[in-house]
Amino acid sequence: MPMTPAITGVEEQEKLLEDAIGVVKVQAFQMKHCLDKSKLMDALKHASTMLGELRTSLLSPKSYYELYMAITDELRHLELYLLDEFQKGRKVTDLYELVQYVGNIVPRLYLLITVGLVYIKTTPGLKRDLLRDLVEMCRGVQHPLRGLFLRNYLLQCTRNILPDVAEEDDEDGSVRDSIDFVLMNFAEMNKLWVRMQHQGHTRDRERREREREELRILVGTNLVRLSQLESVTLEKYKKLVLPGILEQVVSCRDAIAQEYLMECIIQVFPDEFHLQTLNAFLKSCAELQNGVNVKNIIISLIDRLAAFSQRSDGVGGPGSPNQVPGIPQDVKLFDVFSDQIAIIIQTRQDMPPEDIVSLQVALINLAHKCYPDRVNYVDKVLLTTVQIFQKQNVDKLEYNSAVSRELVRLMKIPVDNYKNILIVLKLEHFAPLLDYFDYEGRKLLAIYIITNILENETLIPTQEQVDAVLSMVSPLVQDQPDQPNIEEDPEDFAEEQGLLGRLIHHFKSETADQQYMILSAARKHFSAGGNKRIKYTLPPIVFQAYQLAFIYKGLKDQDEMWQKKCQKIFQFCHATITALMKAELAELPLRLFLQGAIAIGEIRFDNFEMVAYEFMSQAFSIYEDEISDSKAQLAAITLIIATFEQMSCFCEENAEPIRNQCVLYASKLLRKPDQCRGIATCSHIFWSGKSLATGGKEMQNRFKVLDCLRKGIRIASQCMDTSVQVQLYVELLNHYIYFYEKGNTTFTVDIVNQVIAKIKEELPNLEVSEETEQIQKHLANTLEHLRNRMESPEADGLSYQGLIL
Amino acid sequence: MSFFGFGQSADIEITLDGAETRKTADIKSEDGKKERHLLYYDGETVSGKINISLRKAGKLEHQGVKVEFIGQIELYYDRGNHHEFTSLVKELARPGELTHNTVYTFEFANVEKPFESYTGSNVRLRYFLKVTIVRRLSDIVKELELVVHTLSSYPDMNNPIKMEVGIEDCLHIEFEYNKSKYHLKDVIVGKIYFLLVRIKIKHMEIAIIKRETTGSGPHTFTENETIAKYEIMDGAPVRGESIPIRVFLAGYDLAPTMRDINKKFSVRYYLNLVLMDEEDRRYFKQQEITLWRKGEKSRKSQTASPHMPSHLVSAETGFPQGAAQNGPPSVTPPVQSGQLPSANITNVEDAQAPIESMTREEGDGEGAKEVNSESN
Repeated sequence: MPMTPAITGVEEQEKLLEDAIGVVKVQAFQMKHCLDKSKLMDALKHASTMLGELRTSLLSPKSYYELYMAITDELRHLELYLLDEFQKGRKVTDLYELVQYVGNIVPRLYLLITVGLVYIKTTPGLKRDLLRDLVEMCRGVQHPLRGLFLRNYLLQCTRNILPDVAEEDDEDGSVRDSIDFVLMNFAEMNKLWVRMQHQGHTRDRERREREREELRILVGTNLVRLSQLESVTLEKYKKLVLPGILEQVVSCRDAIAQEYLMECIIQVFPDEFHLQTLNAFLKSCAELQNGVNVKNIIISLIDRLAAFSQRSDGVGGPGSPNQVPGIPQDVKLFDVFSDQIAIIIQTRQDMPPEDIVSLQVALINLAHKCYPDRVNYVDKVLLTTVQIFQKQNVDKLEYNSAVSRELVRLMKIPVDNYKNILIVLKLEHFAPLLDYFDYEGRKLLAIYIITNILENETLIPTQEQVDAVLSMVSPLVQDQPDQPNIEEDPEDFAEEQGLLGRLIHHFKSETADQQYMILSAARKHFSAGGNKRIKYTLPPIVFQAYQLAFIYKGLKDQDEMWQKKCQKIFQFCHATITALMKAELAELPLRLFLQGAIAIGEIRFDNFEMVAYEFMSQAFSIYEDEISDSKAQLAAITLIIATFEQMSCFCEENAEPIRNQCVLYASKLLRKPDQCRGIATCSHIFWSGKSLATGGKEMQNRFKVLDCLRKGIRIASQCMDTSVQVQLYVELLNHYIYFYEKGNTTFTVDIVNQVIAKIKEELPNLEVSEETEQIQKHLANTLEHLRNRMESPEADGLSYQGLIL
Repeated sequence: MSFFGFGQSADIEITLDGAETRKTADIKSEDGKKERHLLYYDGETVSGKINISLRKAGKLEHQGVKVEFIGQIELYYDRGNHHEFTSLVKELARPGELTHNTVYTFEFANVEKPFESYTGSNVRLRYFLKVTIVRRLSDIVKELELVVHTLSSYPDMNNPIKMEVGIEDCLHIEFEYNKSKYHLKDVIVGKIYFLLVRIKIKHMEIAIIKRETTGSGPHTFTENETIAKYEIMDGAPVRGESIPIRVFLAGYDLAPTMRDINKKFSVRYYLNLVLMDEEDRRYFKQQEITLWRKGEKSRKSQTASPHMPSHLVSAETGFPQGAAQNGPPSVTPPVQSGQLPSANITNVEDAQAPIESMTREEGDGEGAKEVNSESN
């Protein structure tokens, strides 16, 4: 029988419904009229005609529902009248028979239920038999839609009168009768509901399934009713209710029903019951149809129980009076789930691997939420997953495939939950599981793990752990055999490598020796990263090493070997930086050497001067060999000069050549402006530079300074471009003023005046441009500075007299 | 007749003893109107007074006054002949003269009333008292109808009717009525169990059919009348479904089964189980049931226990509660007819075949009256 004829469109449905409601209104009015006049027979006749509208096959479930609501609403009047009558002493038995003369079954059964309800209310002793009779008689309606609504009416009517006492009581019946009653009604409704699926044309399947969705609540109400019976104890639930429901669910062999009803069971019954019936429930899960998404059901149950366990743990601690009894000791929640899920996976061969993994995800969540201390549970899940993959001969999981996505979810859970990579490292099967990902997947997780470490500021204190972590994130650390041959986005790449760089700073041991081991281990990993990576990864190592050296310096009272160790560290650094040089990097090693030199200068272990000198000379040789771009050269030499200016660890014998070398290189720069600036910078090493000879004081070689600046002026004057020339002059003017203010006595106001004059002479010749504007501004600021000095001379009395602005 | 002056010159009034307390019963008259008369049972004495009142003063000459108790069968197609199966006469007065109003008493002691009063479409069985004042020209006659109910005792054998019927590879059902003999206020309780359903059933109903057979030999007339139609199922069941039946008989106009009454007629009742499919084809199976009338007293004793209505489905007729399989009907393997248990032998008709065939009728509108395949 077709559910509803396909042709009836929305409008026609409305029309049909309207007509039906019209009849209902008329009949209901007449029924009430007759009731008012105490003409019960006529009233029943009208009620029957009204109920006849429910015999239609033309309405969609939605319209039928509206009609049903309208009619049952009217039936309430009849019910109230009858109740009133019978409390006055009318015989109900006759009426119970009388309504059964109605020729058509649908109106007959509605009336029978209505009268039966009154009968039960007035004659409680018959409750059990009448309930049984009603639920049995309803079998006569086999049409799914009509049957569902009829039985729903039965359920609605009886909701307040179901016996709910534990003891066997012959008169009123016990909860046992209620269970039987609802279970039977449930089974019948479910059968009708399932049957809808198999009736009608296959092309209407989608519509049918939609209609079934609309009706499922009717079936589910049975379970709700069962859950509302207060006398259903755990014992009864275990022995009667659940087996009854499950038997029906399993045997109906319908995916839609099974999925919905299992979910219903989870939602309507209390967690305490679920905890005690896990095995039965999960066993049934294994028997469900192939189309059923068992995963969702189990996950939903797990989530509920996990939430329950957390809720109960949250309220009061153990032993506190308001502690809600949580998961009882004797319920091995995890083991049960773990075993049953294994069985389910085994029995359901067609289960897609992503669903299997999802189940493991749920399991791991459970383990975490209910047993936060049991790392081995989590590990067990991971092991199971590995075994499943082995069994299924999974080789590599393609990135962004469903399985891969699920597995990512799985792997992220321990990372997220523990917020501590060190605990994750305790999971023996974490790393093996990682290997199932393809390159993309592994990389994604590597980034995730590193980000987690960084966010939680986890410090990794041993060499072994560093080793493990770096193996885990190896897709970032070094090239992978399965890496696709595609050029990566340089920005992304830089970002990833940046993360690695930050990671290195989290390799921190308590003891210095251990830290050294960590660094060497890390370097071993990073060295394999290839040229494009090491420029991101090795510098942090070098800096860590420098820091370590400082630590040793701090430990020098406790560690006799500190000098040796420091030396070793710098050797280590030297080698590391050399590796960077081999990667055809120039500026980076240069800077690292210079930084190293400063560190050495400050730590001053045995032999430090030699090592520092070596570092400086390495810097120079890089400058010579590797840096060819003039801008880079200028930057490099400026850096070298600045570094050297800061250092005070060299004796004059070593300082001299370095200084000279600086001047030499500065003056050998290709472009004149560069030369000029280089020389000008050089002037500072002669002033504030220090060495062992000066005992840490500034050497303040006034003549050399003057020489440098003069040379600067000369070079500047050779510039063709007046704009550049003036700019250089202004810069030089600043240098002059600096040294003048520092008290270099070879500097006189005259010299300053000369420079200013020169500038003022050239300045008007400049074309108007942005650059010119900048120069003018620079000059103006400089002059402003001087003017201020002149107006408020400082106490120590540097004289600005004679300054012509 | 009194227009002619010498019309009926006396009124006859029959008063039966205990008329005030005696029960009455309805019966249809020949023209279909309902009449109410006093009710008698077999063996009861019929007695009373006959009051003859003269119209005018004077005397009434007569050839005798008599009262008759007559039970007769009238076949409508043979109006001239009434078949009296009972005829008792009491002489009330010898020929003579009546000079004043006279009251006679009469008594038919322990009259045998073997049959039930019946008014059918082709036949009528009636009882009446007939008082006749015999006169030379025209007798003065007065008749009084009586209604007779035949009471039966509980049948010794009352086996349930249980049978497996069907149409091969199309529909197999097993039906069960709890008895084969029902009294007129009885309840038919039963079930239909679907063994195989390959058709799209729309609904199922039970009809109570009265079959009146009159005459004999080539002059047999059969009249079927559907007394009641009672829907017992709505929608299409699947294999394994069992549908309860409960039909209260009290509400219908029924009389006891009458078999071969005085070799003139029979009235039999049949339960007709009708399934209608979506193409309006009808599948049906008729099964005779015997109806009998139960004495009032025993009826009371039966309803003496007020707490348990007798019409509730008893536990024995309930079905296994386990969930029936719900698979699509097409998947179910066809029931091998050979494997089925043979039908219960209690039915009157032939029960040799393991599955009795049902009758299938193409949809032709209502088709309320089944063609009788057995009659010639």
